[in-house]
Amino acid sequence: MTHWNMNTLLLGFLNVAIAGLLAPLYEGVLRKMRAAIHSRMGPPITQPYWDLLKLLAKEDLRAAGGPAYTVLPALALGSVLLLATLAPMGGAAPLAWAGDMIVVLYVAAMAAVLIMVCGFASGSPYAYVGSSREMMMALSVEPILAISLAVGAFKAKSLALGSMVVYQLTSGPSISMAIAGVAFFLALQAQSGKLPFDVAEADQEIMGGALVEQSGPRLALLRWATWAKQLVLAFLLVEVFFPWPHFGVFLLNLVASCVKALAVLLLVALVDVVNPRLRVDQAMGYFVRVGLSSMSALAFAVIGK
Amino acid sequence: MTAEHEQALAQVEQLTAAWSDGALLSITRPYSDTLHLVVKKESMRSLADGLFNQLHARFLISVGTDRRPLTSDFAILHVFSLDNENLYVLLESPIPPDDLRIDAITPVVPGADWAEREFQDAIGVRAEGHPDPRRLLLPDDWPEGLHPLRRDFPYNFRPPLTQNTRTKMREAPTGASILPMGPFFPVLEEPAYWRLFVEGETIVGCDTRLFYNHRGIEKLGDSVLTYSEIPFLAERICGICGFIHSTCYCQALEKAAAIEVPRRARYIRTIMLELERIHSHLLWLGIAGHIIGFETVLMQAWRIREPVMWLCEAISGNRKTYGMNTVGGLRRDLPNDLRPEVLKTLADVEREAIALRDAIVGDSVLHARTQGVGVLTAEIVRSVCVVGPPARASGVAIDARINHPYAAYDEIPPRMVTAEEGDTWSRVVVRVGELIESIRLVREALSALPEGPICADIKDTIPPGKAAVSVVEAPRGEAIHFVMTGGDNRPYRWRVRAPTYANLQALPAAVMHGTIADVPITLGSLDPCFSCTERLETIDRRTGAVRTYSKAELKKMSRGKGLTEGGR
Repeated sequence: MTHWNMNTLLLGFLNVAIAGLLAPLYEGVLRKMRAAIHSRMGPPITQPYWDLLKLLAKEDLRAAGGPAYTVLPALALGSVLLLATLAPMGGAAPLAWAGDMIVVLYVAAMAAVLIMVCGFASGSPYAYVGSSREMMMALSVEPILAISLAVGAFKAKSLALGSMVVYQLTSGPSISMAIAGVAFFLALQAQSGKLPFDVAEADQEIMGGALVEQSGPRLALLRWATWAKQLVLAFLLVEVFFPWPHFGVFLLNLVASCVKALAVLLLVALVDVVNPRLRVDQAMGYFVRVGLSSMSALAFAVIGK
Repeated sequence: MTAEHEQALAQVEQLTAAWSDGALLSITRPYSDTLHLVVKKESMRSLADGLFNQLHARFLISVGTDRRPLTSDFAILHVFSLDNENLYVLLESPIPPDDLRIDAITPVVPGADWAEREFQDAIGVRAEGHPDPRRLLLPDDWPEGLHPLRRDFPYNFRPPLTQNTRTKMREAPTGASILPMGPFFPVLEEPAYWRLFVEGETIVGCDTRLFYNHRGIEKLGDSVLTYSEIPFLAERICGICGFIHSTCYCQALEKAAAIEVPRRARYIRTIMLELERIHSHLLWLGIAGHIIGFETVLMQAWRIREPVMWLCEAISGNRKTYGMNTVGGLRRDLPNDLRPEVLKTLADVEREAIALRDAIVGDSVLHARTQGVGVLTAEIVRSVCVVGPPARASGVAIDARINHPYAAYDEIPPRMVTAEEGDTWSRVVVRVGELIESIRLVREALSALPEGPICADIKDTIPPGKAAVSVVEAPRGEAIHFVMTGGDNRPYRWRVRAPTYANLQALPAAVMHGTIADVPITLGSLDPCFSCTERLETIDRRTGAVRTYSKAELKKMSRGKGLTEGGR
């Protein structure tokens, strides 16, 4: 194994570690903020780790048989960790050579699809409704991620995320990338299952939707995947659309990105806490409008702004 | 008595005499606000039709009574209210024990649906021609022919449990599938089962099973407890509006026994009733927020509510279930030195409630979730006899405090808050308006609070055979208590109707053609208060067959491996 490959491997592990191990901490911070707005004390910020440990230690109960159903939650978490290796975090994406934005979009969609399949397979009518809502949401939100990244690709004349970051750093902020970034942020709200777009879980309507039949270790993995996904997407957002300030030192960049990602997620949580839940048709309508508006970013990109 | 009142009375008397076609057995006016008609059972439906559909009287409740020890028969009594004239019309008919049937009035008075099913269950008089004669309050495994409110049925009798009984639920229309909501469901604080028929996310119908936790309170009232013990039980009918029920019971008995309640007691009752409305509406606002995922509203509304509970504790010794009411007045005075504390709490609650109101009135997402959702038209409200904020939010201006003044509401009249749209948002607006108005009422009552005794001195025994109706405007709508006095220091019959009983009957109309997401908030916007079960329903996705599991089966499955992976 060459030195270069070794480096890639280490960076890969680092990204996976950040996505996997830091995600519960971020979730804990978000809960704390939520509690503050609720006038509550809130749980300690380490609570999500304890939640995961408790769930992982529980009996594994499955609503359906079959090896595929058994491994779905692990695959969901795996797909998110894979996404982490494809995303730039502080530096270039470790597995950048393995895939451009097209691959990133596919991998980003995987977790949602797996949770959906989990729901359809579990046989509960609530899970069924939840999964179909998840699908409707995915269909209206994924295109926004695609459009936003496409703006970057158009500007950088490359499908590689790394080129987009480099382009951003060299040419400075632009209107088109700012609009695309905002659209990406709005999509992130839905992608992380936060209000007003948590229709697929909607505890009070369909008792957790696709997750209703999930418990113990399975629930732990799915929750973990959701937390990790919101963190990786937040990293994607700050790296591709708002890569400033940029330092010469990798470690400083990493810390800056972590702070920026936290700021993004705090904003997501703030929107979550001051909004009630939309209905799925309203949420879809909203994203159709966001999608159409984000087209303007493409237009700006075409005229070079 | 006003001239209008007298005119209305004369009109009712005249019309009923004409409609009854000679079937009128007697007509009396036991109290200035009550007209008691006794008719032959054959003409009950036509009279109810006339009262409801021509005189536009509002149907309140039905009372079935086993009078065999007194007059060797049964009686069915329908209670109507002419709201603008402050007049109750009691329509009673004797039922001979050898022919326990009466024409159902539900075909002409849709709001009588549950009330008639209930007397069928409770005393065994069949409502002939009822469109949906299924069981209402008795459990599904209760033996046929046993009627718990009959006089020869011991209050502590327990029929043997049977196995594998199924609830008779309606099947889904063709093309629709079933989405069960309940008996245990996140937004139902108490057990209730709504079987929703859905096409995709759209509701095309629903069926209901309730009364999972019927506590037999009326039975205890006429067989075990005495007049002065009942207020304590009445207060435990509801965990939120307990004082309303104890007040309502006491008022009914006070009317029957012609007891004059001291003015100070009436004022303090008003204060406590309005404090209950304040904390109930804040509780509701929080729950409504929770239902649509707006947890911030839940947390803040309940935080604002808490000082009201502390205030109630300072006044009565308890956050809830004050134990203050007794027949003839109160057991406990409101100490005058608490006045500054009351005023301070009210000021804080008012300021914070207005801040919360201002934060939610402009919230566009909240509007999107509530405007045009769960619409109840004024026609539905009138025909199903919806009460309280849901009625007022549909433009039907009824309020027991104004229509049938009690306590001190004749001296401190409330301003009615109404809206026209009849949707969930209107119900939010009406309740928030009432919350602010209640704060004003408490202030007024406190500043006008007269000195004097707090309880009437009752020397005579309460005469038997007197029947009286009393209403109290609870936060959820009008609560009704009917008391017929008995000879052994307890009622012969005590009938209670909580407002949710009326309002839940409108839910199927309100959720129709909405989506699954709208059902919880629509139900929540009626502010339901129901009571537990042991049943579960599963649907086989492959065949679409519906299977309801019995308690024994569930026990077996949960103890064995039935529900784990090995069992499938």
